[in-house]
Amino acid sequence: MLEIKDLHVKLADEDREILKGLDLTIPKGEVHAIMGPNGSGKSTLAYVLAGREGYEVTAGDILWDGESILAMEPEERAAKGVFLAFQYPMEIPGVAGLTFLRTAVNAVRKARGLPELSTPDFMKFVKGKAERLNIDIDMLKRPVNVGFSGGEKKRAEILQMEVLEPTLCVLDETDSGLDIDALRIVSDGVNAMRSRDRAMLVITHYQRLLNHIVPDRVHVMVDGKIRKSGDASLAHELEKSGYAEYQAKAA
Amino acid sequence: MNVAVLKTKAEQALSESFASAAAALPGSAEIRRLRLDAMSRFGALGLPTRRVEAWKYTDLRNALKDALPAPPTKAPKARPADVEAALGPLAAVEAHRVVFIDGQYAPDLSALVADGTVTVASLATLLDSDASAAELLDASAHDDDAVLALNIAYAGDGAVVDIAPLADLDRPVLLVFVRAAEEPSFAAVRNVVRVGEGALATVVEAHVTLPKAAKDFQLNTATKVIVGKGAKLAHLKCTLEAGGGTHLSNWLTELGPDADYRGFQLTAGTLLARNQIAVTFAGEGAAIDLSGAFLGRGAEHIDTTLVVDHAVPQCTSRELFKGVLEDRARGVFQGKVIVRPDAQKTDGKQMAQVLMLSPDCEFDSKPELEIYADDVVCGHGSTSADLDEDLVFYCRSRGIPEPEARALLIESFIGEALEKVEHDALRSALAELAHNWLRHAAPAGGDA
Repeated sequence: MLEIKDLHVKLADEDREILKGLDLTIPKGEVHAIMGPNGSGKSTLAYVLAGREGYEVTAGDILWDGESILAMEPEERAAKGVFLAFQYPMEIPGVAGLTFLRTAVNAVRKARGLPELSTPDFMKFVKGKAERLNIDIDMLKRPVNVGFSGGEKKRAEILQMEVLEPTLCVLDETDSGLDIDALRIVSDGVNAMRSRDRAMLVITHYQRLLNHIVPDRVHVMVDGKIRKSGDASLAHELEKSGYAEYQAKAA
Repeated sequence: MNVAVLKTKAEQALSESFASAAAALPGSAEIRRLRLDAMSRFGALGLPTRRVEAWKYTDLRNALKDALPAPPTKAPKARPADVEAALGPLAAVEAHRVVFIDGQYAPDLSALVADGTVTVASLATLLDSDASAAELLDASAHDDDAVLALNIAYAGDGAVVDIAPLADLDRPVLLVFVRAAEEPSFAAVRNVVRVGEGALATVVEAHVTLPKAAKDFQLNTATKVIVGKGAKLAHLKCTLEAGGGTHLSNWLTELGPDADYRGFQLTAGTLLARNQIAVTFAGEGAAIDLSGAFLGRGAEHIDTTLVVDHAVPQCTSRELFKGVLEDRARGVFQGKVIVRPDAQKTDGKQMAQVLMLSPDCEFDSKPELEIYADDVVCGHGSTSADLDEDLVFYCRSRGIPEPEARALLIESFIGEALEKVEHDALRSALAELAHNWLRHAAPAGGDA
C-alpha cells in the first residue's frame, strides 16, 4: 500500500511550496488517477515518489509497504518496486536499448536478491513483452529512445515498466503526445499489468486516457493538494466542468 | 634586447649526459653525426615553453624539472606472464607481438611469424648494420621540434615494421613497450612503419607498466609512418603507463595517393602525456580518420596536438577526440588543419568533446584552420560539459546504482570515438580498458 501523509514539498533552491499537505492512499490491486490543471504539482508528486533531486520534503511522509521511502536513493526505490514512467522519456545516445534494459533488470534483480539473467535468458524474457507492445527488437538495438517518435518513446517506457516488474507504477502524463492507436497499445500494456500485487497511480491532464485505463478512484489535485476524490465518474464530471471551481476554492 | 638564455636543470642535464650516452647508442659515424646535429638543434631550441604557440598549454620546460638517467643496461627480467598481465584486455587480441622492455627489444618475449607479408626488425640492429639506416631517424620536415630532436639524439631502439606491397595482414602487429625499470629512468624509442602499395595492415603501440616499475619515468617516443599508394593502415596507440611520469609522443605520417590512414589513441593514467600527430598528404585522393579518447584524473595532463597538412588536392580528413576529466586533470586539444593553395576539393572536419566531471578540471581547445585554397569544405567544433544529471536520474530510477549509471553514460560518451576502431577484438579490448578506468581499476592489470 502507498500512503502519502500530509506531504509538503518545495523546490530545494526556492522557497515556493508546491505540495501543500497532500494525503493519498492507494492499496495494492487498485489503480488511482490524479487529475489536475497545469502547475498543480502533479509532476512534482511523480518526481518526489521516484526520488529526483532538487526537491525538499519539508513535512509529511511517503510510506510504501509500511516503510518510509523518503531517505532512499532512486535506485533503492526502484529495487523496492517503485517505477516512474516519465512524461518525457529521455534519450541516451550511445547506450543500446537492450544494454540499458539488461543493466537495469540485472541491477534490480541483484538488489532484490535474485540471480542475474544471462543474455539468452534476458532476450527470451524481453522478446514477448516487446512484441505485445509492438516494439521491434531491432528498435531496441538502437540507442535508448534516440530518434524515436513520441509514441515509440511511450511504448519503450511501458516496456521498461514491464521488464522491471514494479509493484508501484507511477505514470506521469503517459497520454501526452500519443495518437489514438498508440494510446490503445500503451493502455493495453498498462491494463495487462493490473494485478492485486500492484498499485498504480495514473497522472493525467485529460480524461481521455481514463477511458482506456479505467481507474478505481479519481483524485482532483489543485494547488498542491487533493481537493476532491471519487470513483471513475468524477473524471467525466471534470471533463465537463473543468477545474475552475476547485481553483477558486484553493485560491 | 639581448638576453642570455638560461638553461634549466633538465636542459643542462639532457645536453651534458649526451656525451656519455652517445657512445652506447647504436649507429655508424653517419648516424652519430645525425645525433650530434639533433643535439645541437635541441641546445638552440631548449625545451618548449608556453611562449611557443604549439606548446601554449603544455609548458614542458616548466614541467620537466630534471632529466632522468638511462635505464640500467641490463633490463630487469620480465616473464611472458608479466607482459600478459600488463597488457590486460589487449593480451587477448591475436597479434604478431613484438616486445620492448624499457625501450630495448626483447626477442625472447616477441613472437613474430615471418610469412613474407610483414617484417619487424630492431632499430638498434639496423642502425648498426644497415648503410641506409640514416633515413630511419630522419625528421627533417620537423627541424623546429625540440622533442623530436631529443628523440633523434637519444633513440636507442624501436621497431622497424615493413608491410609488403599488396599484403593483407591476418592479424595486427602489436608493439608492446613495457616499463619495468625500478629506478626512475629515461628512454627514447623510435619506430618506423612502412606500408607497401595496396597493403592492408593494423599496427598497435601499447605502452604498459609492470607493477614494480618506478612511478617516475620519461619516455620520448616517435613513430614515422609511410603509407604507400592505395594502402590502408589502422594505427593505434594505447598509453597506459600508470605512474607519475612524462610520455612525449610523435607520430609523423606521410600518405601516398589514395592511401587510407585510421589513427586512434587511447590515453589514461600518465601524469603528463603529449601526443602529437602530424599527417602530410603527399598524393591526391588520400583519406585520414584520426580519433581517440583521453581519460584524466588526479593532476594528470593530457595533450593531443594534431597537424594535418593538406598539401595536395582531393584529400579528406576527419578528427574526433573525446575526453573525460576528473579531479584536477587538464586536457588539451590542438587541431591544426592546413590547406595549401593547390589543395582544392579538400574535405576536413574536426571535433573535440570533453566531459568535465569536476569543477577543478580544465580543458583547453584550440582548433586552427589555415585555408589557402578556395574550393574546400572544412569545419571544426569543440564542446565541454558535465554529465547530464537528468540522464543520471533516469538511469537510477530504473534501478541502476549511481556509480554504474555515471560510468554507463561516460562510456556511451567515449563510445562514439571507440566506434572508429574497425578491428572488433581491438575495439572490445579498448572498450574494456576504458570500462576499467571508469570503475577506478587499473586499466590494464597491475596496480594503478
